[in-house]
Amino acid sequence: MHTVLRRLIQLIFVLAGICIITFLLVHMVPGDPARVIAGDRASPETIEAIRQRFGLDQPLWQQFVTYAGNLFTGDIGQSMRYKRPVVALIGQYVWPTLFLTGYVICLAVPPSIALAIASARRPGSLADQLIRFIGIAGMAIPVFWLGIMMSRFFGVGLGWFPVSGYGKTFADHLHHLFLPALSTAIWMVPVLVQSLRAALIEKASADFVVAARAQGAGEREIFWCTVLPNAILPTLNLFGVLVAFLIGGTIIVETVYAVPGLGTLMVNSLLARDYQVVQGLTLMFAVTTVAVTFLVDLLSAAIDPRARV
Amino acid sequence: MNGPVTPLVTGPLLDVIDVSVRFGNTRVLKNVSFQIMPGEIVGIAGESGSGKSTICRGAMGLLPSTAEVTGEVRFKDQALLGLGEADWAGLRGRDMAMIFQNPASHLNPLQKVGKQIAQPMIRHLGLSASEAWDKAVRLLEDVGIREPAMRAKSYPHELSGGMKQRVMIAAAISCAPRLLIADEPTTALDVTVQAKILELLKDLNRQRGLAIALISHDLGVLADICSRIMVMRHGEIVEQGEAGQIIDAPQHPYTRLLVDSQPGRKQFKAGWKQTEGQAPLLQVENLRVVFPGKRDIVDILRKRKPTPFAALDGVNLAIDAGETVGIVGESGSGKSTLARAIIRQNRPASGTVKLDGSPIERLAGRDLLELRRRVQMVFQNPYDSLNPRMTALETIAEPIWRHGMADRRSALSQASKLLDMVELPAALGERKPRQLSGGQCQRVGIARALALQPQVLIADEITSALDVTTQAQILELLARLRRERALTLVYISHDLFVVSSFCQRVYVFRSGRIVEQGAAADVLTSPKEAYTRELVASLHRLPRQVRESIEG
Repeated sequence: MHTVLRRLIQLIFVLAGICIITFLLVHMVPGDPARVIAGDRASPETIEAIRQRFGLDQPLWQQFVTYAGNLFTGDIGQSMRYKRPVVALIGQYVWPTLFLTGYVICLAVPPSIALAIASARRPGSLADQLIRFIGIAGMAIPVFWLGIMMSRFFGVGLGWFPVSGYGKTFADHLHHLFLPALSTAIWMVPVLVQSLRAALIEKASADFVVAARAQGAGEREIFWCTVLPNAILPTLNLFGVLVAFLIGGTIIVETVYAVPGLGTLMVNSLLARDYQVVQGLTLMFAVTTVAVTFLVDLLSAAIDPRARV
Repeated sequence: MNGPVTPLVTGPLLDVIDVSVRFGNTRVLKNVSFQIMPGEIVGIAGESGSGKSTICRGAMGLLPSTAEVTGEVRFKDQALLGLGEADWAGLRGRDMAMIFQNPASHLNPLQKVGKQIAQPMIRHLGLSASEAWDKAVRLLEDVGIREPAMRAKSYPHELSGGMKQRVMIAAAISCAPRLLIADEPTTALDVTVQAKILELLKDLNRQRGLAIALISHDLGVLADICSRIMVMRHGEIVEQGEAGQIIDAPQHPYTRLLVDSQPGRKQFKAGWKQTEGQAPLLQVENLRVVFPGKRDIVDILRKRKPTPFAALDGVNLAIDAGETVGIVGESGSGKSTLARAIIRQNRPASGTVKLDGSPIERLAGRDLLELRRRVQMVFQNPYDSLNPRMTALETIAEPIWRHGMADRRSALSQASKLLDMVELPAALGERKPRQLSGGQCQRVGIARALALQPQVLIADEITSALDVTTQAQILELLARLRRERALTLVYISHDLFVVSSFCQRVYVFRSGRIVEQGAAADVLTSPKEAYTRELVASLHRLPRQVRESIEG
């Protein structure tokens, strides 16, 4: 409990830092932020209007106070393109992305654990070599290429899966997002397998495993009760980083499969120079990363007593 | 239950007959035969690589699958080699148990120690989890852990080294095995803790009739508690017999070498210098070194000051030019902090270190470089303190050209002279650390330290990672060098025997303070302070040494 409190207080400082950086982001763009927001072809009057409307004529610190105050009330700006609050936009686009992330996790984690165990059981065996070879191939294939190929083959060619959209019902979602989730998982599984395999092999020869054997523990018990819990920790941390990355980084997959998620929103807003949305998304991605890391830390502490400070 | 157990079987408990072990083409064990009788404590002595651990792991079936074992091992008339995995599992922890050198790495870091002690009982005796837990608490009490109910809920990292070893012992004896194999059980522990663990093993042997195979490199320990000792070398038993005979009348030349190499057997008086009232070369005055406690954001918000840890507190000492002074203490006593303070790696919170009367804290620039040249250090771990990518010659030459005392080419030729001085063959100069043995690496470390022709040499536990025979050779070398080069030596060690045979004066450290000081021989033979007495009492002397010191 004490650990949770301690971490939460640390989080407040991290979040404050994130606020400052996202605020400065617009101001660090070279040139006049008002001009940047207004776009290349805006007239001087428009720029002046924008300057006043966004309070850009005020001193920097005052702008920040307003910005921070708005954040507290949940207002992270207005989209120029959609003419809607950024919060509402994100609220609309976040669900496909979260669904996709959850889908990827469900598709990636069980095979990762199974393959890592199969591979680590006898390092250097045929199964191990095969898993490692396919893993390297899976990592080496670019996600966008795999996405396009699978979309052509299974979607257009065989007609098994829809090639775009998100669907209406839960079953629809599963059907629509299968190919995007699979092409992401194909890249994620080898990364997880490599990390877990290395840790399993290392822990399998640890001193406490010899000690457990000397106390009469069977090989099965040693593996499930001693080796696996000790080996899972580094992979858990890697997994957290990957998940945080997925929430912010499904841009390619979402674009290829036209999933109406945050990645699509990000691309569209960037192309349309909708800076308030970009700023809002950046803030959101940063906060999710922090939140996921926090959850992973709590999970590690639950497994490893040494992580509880 | 706790009374002496009369052996039911009259034959040997463990019978090892003509066992050989090979890994690929290397034979690590050659035709080893020995027996352990019920209720007996047998010592297995030998240096690293002698095969003493291999034979015991072989008897427990714990060798890796790449090991090829031939011969016969019988436990209570049951042939062990060739048992299936399930039969082995039923035997291990139930009839024969094992404890290890490093208790910290042999406990599962993720489980409460109570659970780890309970597991063998759940496994072998069919106890329920709560019954086993209750018994685990009682076992913790039996092995001398205070507040056992609370300690059972601790995780390994919350316990000290000695307590961890007691937990290992509790888990090992939980199912009342007949044989305990103890593989260097006290090597990683402080001497006072070592004495207590050995006492515990003796008690278990007496009260429960537990037969013990005690593996150790320390003949003193074995002589103290074993009835029989066997000496191993290069995978063979070179000699076995009654403990007294092995120590007092060793037959085999290697046993004799081993006995003579035991710390404290030989006095290294060469180069001891009588000091005549000159000003001391190195002076430490009222030195206090403090490490700040950990402080996080919550503490800052609550204005809570972390409690700083004083590694050294009010230490005064003076060392004359040419003197050899020993610093003795257990782990955490502040001896290494002192060494680091002298070479200005730890900044004192108060007090000063003076070299030739001038405080080293104020040195800067050229004077600081001069201090680095005049005071050199040799480190504990011979491998970690050498750059793995440099050859021995390059390692020794580096300080010479770095200090601008010669260009690189003449530095290398000076280095080869230094190599000769530390008695290393010139051919080894081209080797990298991992191609050298521990003792050879330590010689390279000494040569590197001497390359700058320092006045003061600090040796921080330089022999504690080495075998006893190697340790004796390194001490011999150092004794010769200090005579030839008029070195002032600060010799830091946990081993009071080594220090008293090698140093003129000693300072005994405990918890950052000096508890006793004086001539080495006096401190060893008639310690004044309670702590020093405890330290001396914890030493395991060979019987002959005791007689010698009585005869004076």
